[in-house]
Amino acid sequence: MTVSTINVPDMHCSACSGKIRSALQTLAGVDATYFNPARRQVLIEHQDQLGSLELLKSIEAAGFTPSLSGVEAHDQRQKALLKRLGIAGLAMMQVMMAAIAMYAGDFQQMEESYRRLLEFTSLIFCIPVIAYSAMPFFTGALAAFRTGINMDVPIALAISIAFTISVSNTLSGNGDVYYDSVVMFTFLLLGARYIDSRLQQRFATTDKALAALPTRALRINGARQDLVAVPDIQVGDRLWISEGAQIPVDGRLAGRAADIDEAVLSGEADWVKKTAQAPLWAGTINCGPGFEMIVSAGYEASRIADIAALADRAQLERAPAALLADRIAGYFIPTVLMLATLTYIGWQIFDPDRAIVAALTVLVVSCPCALSLATPAALTAAMTRLRDLGIVLTRSSALEQAAKIDLALIDKTGTLTVHEPTVTDTTLLNAEFDEATCHALAGALQQYSAHPYARAFSHDASIALDEVEVVTGKGVRGIWAGHRVVIGSASFCATGSDADRAVYLAVDGVARARFTISDQVRGDARQAMDDLAELGIKPMMLSGDAPARCEELATKLGINYLARQTPESKLAFLEAQLRDGHRTLMLGDGINDVPVLAAATVSAAVVEASDLVKSKADVLLLSRRLNPLPELIRVARKTQHITRQNLTWALAYNLIAIPIAAMGWMPPWLAALGMASSSTLVMFNATRILR
Amino acid sequence: MEMLFILIPVSIVLIAVAGTIFLWAVNNNQFEHLDKHGFDVLEDDSGDNS
Repeated sequence: MTVSTINVPDMHCSACSGKIRSALQTLAGVDATYFNPARRQVLIEHQDQLGSLELLKSIEAAGFTPSLSGVEAHDQRQKALLKRLGIAGLAMMQVMMAAIAMYAGDFQQMEESYRRLLEFTSLIFCIPVIAYSAMPFFTGALAAFRTGINMDVPIALAISIAFTISVSNTLSGNGDVYYDSVVMFTFLLLGARYIDSRLQQRFATTDKALAALPTRALRINGARQDLVAVPDIQVGDRLWISEGAQIPVDGRLAGRAADIDEAVLSGEADWVKKTAQAPLWAGTINCGPGFEMIVSAGYEASRIADIAALADRAQLERAPAALLADRIAGYFIPTVLMLATLTYIGWQIFDPDRAIVAALTVLVVSCPCALSLATPAALTAAMTRLRDLGIVLTRSSALEQAAKIDLALIDKTGTLTVHEPTVTDTTLLNAEFDEATCHALAGALQQYSAHPYARAFSHDASIALDEVEVVTGKGVRGIWAGHRVVIGSASFCATGSDADRAVYLAVDGVARARFTISDQVRGDARQAMDDLAELGIKPMMLSGDAPARCEELATKLGINYLARQTPESKLAFLEAQLRDGHRTLMLGDGINDVPVLAAATVSAAVVEASDLVKSKADVLLLSRRLNPLPELIRVARKTQHITRQNLTWALAYNLIAIPIAAMGWMPPWLAALGMASSSTLVMFNATRILR
Repeated sequence: MEMLFILIPVSIVLIAVAGTIFLWAVNNNQFEHLDKHGFDVLEDDSGDNS
């Protein structure tokens, strides 16, 4: 199965996405379609034999202009909008000047010839606005004949009715003209679309990160370095990554060491130190000197592409609240058209002179777009914010749930602790060398070893070793300033005692120190647990380990625990909590956590988790810390708050503004400004989540 | 006030020129990357030594 993302810039509302969905469903091989109205994208899951060309054709046949390349299409659209907006703005200035002169002329008895001159001047400036600037509204409204009613219909109706009446009155030489309303509607509504499109660009930053991957790389070919296109890079190629360069594809470090900025993947600002053979991810940046790498996967298979695909799935899934808003918006436009007609008929009875203006005002002031944008805008902003924090949401409905969480169950090994051995205890067995010297010697020896425990020691460059020899499965020995130094297992260091998880250091045949190795607690675990408690969420540790070890860690973190848990007992505990009305978040990493993750209200996985766990989890924590967990809850609550604000505002605006307009109490310019600003306000409110 | 019959057509021509210049500017990317030049001073290499 393949997933294709297609941009449809002229998809404005739920009616449009409905048409696209039904057009795509007639194609054989389409499994599912998801929509992202805030980014104007369709994500299609389909069989491999169905090409993207057929998908594009079928969307085009439904009356839209789809395209494949996101960033470029967006830039082109933005440019076209800017041109239309600029022309409308220039024309508006002239038409408004003429309009003011005519208003003043009405009071001061302007001569008929001057009045005619000003009317024709306004008409001339109005022509490029109608023929060029307002075109998107007309094409959108025309598409309604094929795709069903959309929000361009009332706008196009209002503009064309006002223009037609004005032209006919100008030519006949009597009656009012509304050129000022025509240009103003167009300018303000285009302005709103332009601002919305700029805000969308802020949401699309992760796409930009993907699009900004280098297109060329230096391939090492014997002594030469060739510049090659990234798609031509093969698995197994050696690449030279120069200082400050972005890594183009996933691979492994061939050199000894490298400093990498992985913020694009993890959201962590600190550079990561990589050692030989360490994995390198596409999109990350080399902050140290240049190095060689060996390619392990092509671009499509790279980790950043996987994460982007998971995140896209979430964006395209509609949250229940958004679906409801879409349904309301669908009924909304026909209702508005009916109300405008009623307004016209009503005013014809009482005061025919004001009938046209009042009806046009109703058409313009109503704003279904604020309603249908309220939820997706907030959601898209939240996902962008979460990405910056190193959290990927793979199911958007999880965000609504995360706001209500009151219990967090956390796995111990691999989640609260890291699978990274650390020296937790050093015991000196002989007083001749102090602890610092022992650590330095151990570090110097261990840099030659490939044993997992060797990573627990930090390398010290001040110790110079000669005749180093690695004995696989036992340890390392060498000569340091005339002394024979040995590190490794108890037997290798010729010492009698042997403890669990211990490494010994011997100098000149005498054991000097014992290092106890164990898994490290994540650095900010305590802080994260405290933050959760502060948010009113009870953190609880579930572990398969012995009670004594759990007790020690739980006290350190200040949380409750359940020890000696099996996957079944974890699940039983979780189900009991759910029956009691708790909404539960489960954070885990291993296959044994999968059943519990599946049953939890919200499931989260750490980045080191196995692929199966990651594909099941609603939320992925990409950084090696736990503090994104409380951040997730904070962002979720804020998003919920802002979504409610947006929906309330959109509903209240329409319920208040439409009656006022129908009563004829609203000047047309205020109607246009009101509609333009109500949808822009929704977008702006959503961007508050980004901060 | 008869002057208006000359001045207003002249102004229409001027606005047409202004509109053309604006369209030219957008088409030639004059409004792209408005923040970019502020960062230029921070860039080390001029781009032709890579």
